[in-house]
Amino acid sequence: MERLSRRSFVKIAGAATGAAALAAAPPIARAAVEEGAERTNPTARVPEEPVVAYVRDAKRGEVTVTSGTAEHTYRDRVLVKRLLRAAGRKDVS
Amino acid sequence: MSSHREAPSISQDPVADNADTYAFVSPDDPSTVTIITNYVPLQGPPGGPNFFEFGDDVLYSIYIDNDGDALPEIEYQFRFRTTLQNEDTFLYNTGPIGSLSDPNWNKRQLYSVSVVRGQGSKSLGQDLACPPCNIGPRSTPNYDSLAAAAVHHLPTGETVFAGQRNDGFFVDLGAIFDLGDIRELNPAHLIPSAAGTSVDPLKTLNIHAIAIKVPIQMLTRDGSVPSDVAAATSVLGIWGGASRRKVQVRDGYETRNAGPWVQVSRLGNPLFNEVIVPVGDKDRWNAVDPIDDIGFEKYVNQPELGRLLPVLYPGAFPNLAAYTKNRADLHAILLTGIPNGVVPGFQNFTGPNPADMLRLNVAVPPTVNNPNPIGLVAGDAAGFPNGRRVFDDIVSIELKAIAGATIPLVDPTYTPDAAVGLVSSYLTPGADRYQSTFPYLGTPHDGYDTPSS
Repeated sequence: MERLSRRSFVKIAGAATGAAALAAAPPIARAAVEEGAERTNPTARVPEEPVVAYVRDAKRGEVTVTSGTAEHTYRDRVLVKRLLRAAGRKDVS
Repeated sequence: MSSHREAPSISQDPVADNADTYAFVSPDDPSTVTIITNYVPLQGPPGGPNFFEFGDDVLYSIYIDNDGDALPEIEYQFRFRTTLQNEDTFLYNTGPIGSLSDPNWNKRQLYSVSVVRGQGSKSLGQDLACPPCNIGPRSTPNYDSLAAAAVHHLPTGETVFAGQRNDGFFVDLGAIFDLGDIRELNPAHLIPSAAGTSVDPLKTLNIHAIAIKVPIQMLTRDGSVPSDVAAATSVLGIWGGASRRKVQVRDGYETRNAGPWVQVSRLGNPLFNEVIVPVGDKDRWNAVDPIDDIGFEKYVNQPELGRLLPVLYPGAFPNLAAYTKNRADLHAILLTGIPNGVVPGFQNFTGPNPADMLRLNVAVPPTVNNPNPIGLVAGDAAGFPNGRRVFDDIVSIELKAIAGATIPLVDPTYTPDAAVGLVSSYLTPGADRYQSTFPYLGTPHDGYDTPSS
């Protein structure tokens, strides 16, 4: 199992692209985002090599991250919950 | 068809659709092997203004297994890049294209070639030019000279070409997909009609070919040029594949790709995915590698088409209808290669691992005079299923094999039905489909003259 904290993941993603793209399945709608997250309009084009994260298994807290030609799956329940809330999913506990 | 639009997913993605793979000892340069993988099938030659091209976001691969483990020891990779000389015109070209650097040629493709051996990747060539598509007499008046200029000799010894060519594959598509019809046999069909004459709709269509000619010693496991047909070192397993990045992000009119390469198409033996694998498994077959083909073995052992022929042609195939054993003949031809002792003086066995690959015995010299398009079955060991030449009559060979012609190779008690002799493509492609030198596929049809009326 590869180790990566939510904080370090976000840091790596941001450093790699300048603007990490976090893509969850549905579009953001009426997002009940956590405190600290600010809904905004994009200020930049999608980077040439976007870093993409998607929730693979919400119940297990699995999130898959692609960067360049690499792909890794992590168990990070906090990050998964945060992404699902940003996506407006109502089934987030 | 060999593999034109053969699976649900790849039929929606022509630039990544590996439609044919060929591999043969070069007839005009027998110290080399030529491998060709074709993409972008069924091109209507007049298809402008955005004429056909390779995908800039596709990784095109040619794989070679030289030790019989169904895994590639060598992978040639091709990546393409499209450039525009003038964004302020709708035209592909703004005047006659006289050379590969002609400023009149607006939309061009360049490509890189690299080779992967073991863990290491080595660049073999950068910014190699493709030829333009064949537009017509005003735009591409000297097409053959443009195509010849796009044959690149690499410093490491390989020769490469990538661009539009005449599609060498031939089949009566309209009939074969109308419930397995062969027009000459119409009266014997389950739904009979008057006998007709087979038609080849591909004879006016183009395709995009990636061709590479490699000295034999650069492909064999021990760096030798084998002369012993019976030796395991003489056999190469060969297939082509196309991959896309796992994630695609659309942002306005721009598209970005991310993630690892994921295979979306492959092709070893012609017609394998097309007529052996059922539609519910075709996309999966394209996504996995030959080493995983044990999961598809059952479709070779009991091929659906072998059960259909006696139904579609009632009374014509009684022996085939009664044959319930696994098809060890097809298993050998398609999945393991033919072992020593089955066909006198020939073998292309790569070991017991079932894997769909073309298997080329490079110790068999090319047949230069009057090669037989029926290949090994007709006694010409330089043809399919010993690799595959551009003119091999794949439809006839595989139809005859599935109809039972090759069962006696492994089961001498079996007598093929008389109707096997009538099963054929009934097509003879014109000489313009091919050429005698690299890249061996003929000049593509030009859009002005095709169709001609």
